[in-house]
Amino acid sequence: MNVTTLTTLAQANFPEAMSQITLAHYLVISTAMFTIGLVGFLTRRNLIIMFLCTELMFQAAGIAMIAFGRYHLDLSGQSFVVFVLTVAAAEAAMALALVVLLFRRKESLSAEEWKDLQG
Amino acid sequence: MMLTLASDLKSYMPIALICLMAIGFGVANVVLSQLFGPRRQGKNKGQTYESGMNPIGTARKRFNVRFYLIAMVFLVFDVEVVFLYPWAVTFPNLAVRSDEGLLWLFRILFFLLTTVVAFLYGYRKGVFKFD
Amino acid sequence: MTDRLAFLWPEIALFVTTCIVMIVGLSKSLAVRKSTGVIAGVGVLVALYLAAVSTPHTSGPAVCPLTGIHFAPQLTASMGQVLLPDMVPFTKCLIAAVGFMLLLVLAGTVDRNEEAQIASGKRVYDPLRANRAEFYAFYLFSLTGLMLTASADDLIWLFLALELTSLPTYIMVAMSTSRNQSREAGVKYFFLGALGAAIFLYGFALIYGGTGETKLNDIAAVIHAQGINSLTMVGAILAIFGFAFKIAAVPMHFYTADVYQGSASQVSAFLAFVPKTAGFIAILLLCATLGWAYNPGEGAGGSIGFTAVVTQVEGATRLPEPVRLLLWVMAAMTMTIGNIFAILQTSVKRTLAYSSIAHSGYMLVGVIAGPFNGDSSNAFTNNGVSAVLFYLLSYGVMNLGAFAALAMIERTAKADGEVREIDHFDDLRGLCKVHPIAGWTLVISSLSLLGLPPLLGFFGKLPLFTSGIAAGEIVLVVILGINSAIAAFYYLRMAFLPLTDTRDATIEQTTEAPFVGRKLAGLLSAGGVIVLAIAASAVIDQVKQAGTVQTWNPTRAIKPAPAPHGHDHAALELSPESVAAAGGVTSGAAKDER
Repeated sequence: MNVTTLTTLAQANFPEAMSQITLAHYLVISTAMFTIGLVGFLTRRNLIIMFLCTELMFQAAGIAMIAFGRYHLDLSGQSFVVFVLTVAAAEAAMALALVVLLFRRKESLSAEEWKDLQG
Repeated sequence: MMLTLASDLKSYMPIALICLMAIGFGVANVVLSQLFGPRRQGKNKGQTYESGMNPIGTARKRFNVRFYLIAMVFLVFDVEVVFLYPWAVTFPNLAVRSDEGLLWLFRILFFLLTTVVAFLYGYRKGVFKFD
Repeated sequence: MTDRLAFLWPEIALFVTTCIVMIVGLSKSLAVRKSTGVIAGVGVLVALYLAAVSTPHTSGPAVCPLTGIHFAPQLTASMGQVLLPDMVPFTKCLIAAVGFMLLLVLAGTVDRNEEAQIASGKRVYDPLRANRAEFYAFYLFSLTGLMLTASADDLIWLFLALELTSLPTYIMVAMSTSRNQSREAGVKYFFLGALGAAIFLYGFALIYGGTGETKLNDIAAVIHAQGINSLTMVGAILAIFGFAFKIAAVPMHFYTADVYQGSASQVSAFLAFVPKTAGFIAILLLCATLGWAYNPGEGAGGSIGFTAVVTQVEGATRLPEPVRLLLWVMAAMTMTIGNIFAILQTSVKRTLAYSSIAHSGYMLVGVIAGPFNGDSSNAFTNNGVSAVLFYLLSYGVMNLGAFAALAMIERTAKADGEVREIDHFDDLRGLCKVHPIAGWTLVISSLSLLGLPPLLGFFGKLPLFTSGIAAGEIVLVVILGINSAIAAFYYLRMAFLPLTDTRDATIEQTTEAPFVGRKLAGLLSAGGVIVLAIAASAVIDQVKQAGTVQTWNPTRAIKPAPAPHGHDHAALELSPESVAAAGGVTSGAAKDER
């Protein structure tokens, strides 16, 4: 199957309004999410919020991958995202376990509370 | 340009309608009960469960770690299913090609076997024991 | 597709061992619980054997040295990445060998008090509180991930392998001692690790976007055909920043000292080897993809839908200039900052942590030098990739000795009766007299880490210098030399305090930890430092092969590898369907955007 037929097939049932959204739109969203996540991670001091920020960065990569996959008419982008979601779930489970562990010791979620280790 | 945009947006009409109805239902219930609902204050009325048992102790109680473990087991199976969907969709096509199909079946079976290991681990750890 | 299995036998062995350890370790019987460490050890040794005999490489079917069976198949492109093909068997053997020594050190880390209480009848056995087997399982998972990193041929695979390597280490840190510091270290490590992972994941997404491929071979082919466009370049730079976390390079090094200090010494030894090796393998793979693996020739112009073409791949061996510059600055900063901060510490573990940062900087010099420089007669000394791989081996062996020496000694605090490890430089005074095995292990390891001539560290550092000079990075090599001199300051202190001083009466008494494995690991490491230095030539033959970047012409033609670097291995067989089309699909897809 050549590329042109694939293109037309993929776009057959798309409303016209959707086709005016280009790759650039998705990339802007994803870059914005990534930047918000990064800035949030560096500025916020609540452990849960910091973890959410890293999740935001993961999902930004996911959006970029799906958009690129659509752009290249290639499914590996989407399959990548499935694996990313799995890893994100594993990280979420670990993050919550660790945060609960810390909360029990200090009754606080602030990263500032934890500075036993300083040289 | 604007015309085509407008005609396309028409196809989203049902969704918009459902959203409006949902929002309307929620808002209407709140507003109407505020307007017409009877208001009586009292000791019984102020309880957490108006006609249930009396709450005991603080709400900031520590939960048993089992709840966390159950959530973890759920997560394992939940994520597992995500991988089964693409496999299930493509498998009919692969199965037609005789030898490849069997191979793909064994692959997913191996994948499922890893879940069995996780399950077995949870079982021995005592996650499913409630006593 | 099933060819891929040929690469995976060691990983499969490790994975099966993990499953067994995880389930068996929850037994009610103490003997069965104790056996998990032995099972893990057997699993790692089986993986070592399988890695040595079953991993495909370019020089054709290998003969098993023990049984004489022809086992390892000839590598073909359908089996995996062809960019650094011979790196895989070498790194896997290295991982399994050092991994086994790490297991010896790690034995007995968790559950010591719990097991004692159960034995004395103070507490009944509760599977929810039994952590010993899980600790071994995490260790095995991490090792599996590290081996998978070595055999990665795809961005998805690489991402998953790196995550599998690092996720268990976060928990290992947090559970390594019962102190609060370990929890803090675990959380710090986890959060910065998640940040690093997110950054290199975004880099992968951009590389995928820029080239339209996730297979490393295909990405290399696209880059070769069309040059590097801006998206791929930004992606590569982000990915390197993310990897910098794994190797503890500036600017992602902040966690290192805290995490090494907060976790038990034996776990710090694990952290100094496993994530660092994973990071360097990933960086080598990425650099091979970006620009090492080509024949010299004209880079075709053009782009794939994105107009701005930033860099053409020039010639054969060069990394794209922005990437080289980034790595250059990173290397210089990493070794300087690592060494300067290491001098300022009073804690031995923090010093070792900062020195681990510095060593990453040294190894980055080899990455910048790249694979083939100069003429073919000096294929080892001029090959930066071989230098990095050899340094990973020598750093893994000698650094393990230093941490094992610390793990051998402990102190029961008078105040609360809690067992603590030694961490202050004062504790090292006269160590050779009080605890000879620990003392001498520490002396030999620190002298080797310093790079003193007859020891392994010297032979590790030498190729980094020569390859750097051959690549024309004179300034960087000078910085490397100055830093090696700075490092002498704290390594000599670490070596002479146990040797010459006498222990103060004010220092609290120390005892030897009741674990034979740690002494054994320390002796193995100290012995390895000396033996490997004598037998370096045998290892170097292997490393020379491992560091060879295959030149291959990505035009789908089956072509024998020309040997500008003087090796006569069999040509890589590139089957037509395995090296995907460079231009066809992607340039067509550009129409899709309107």
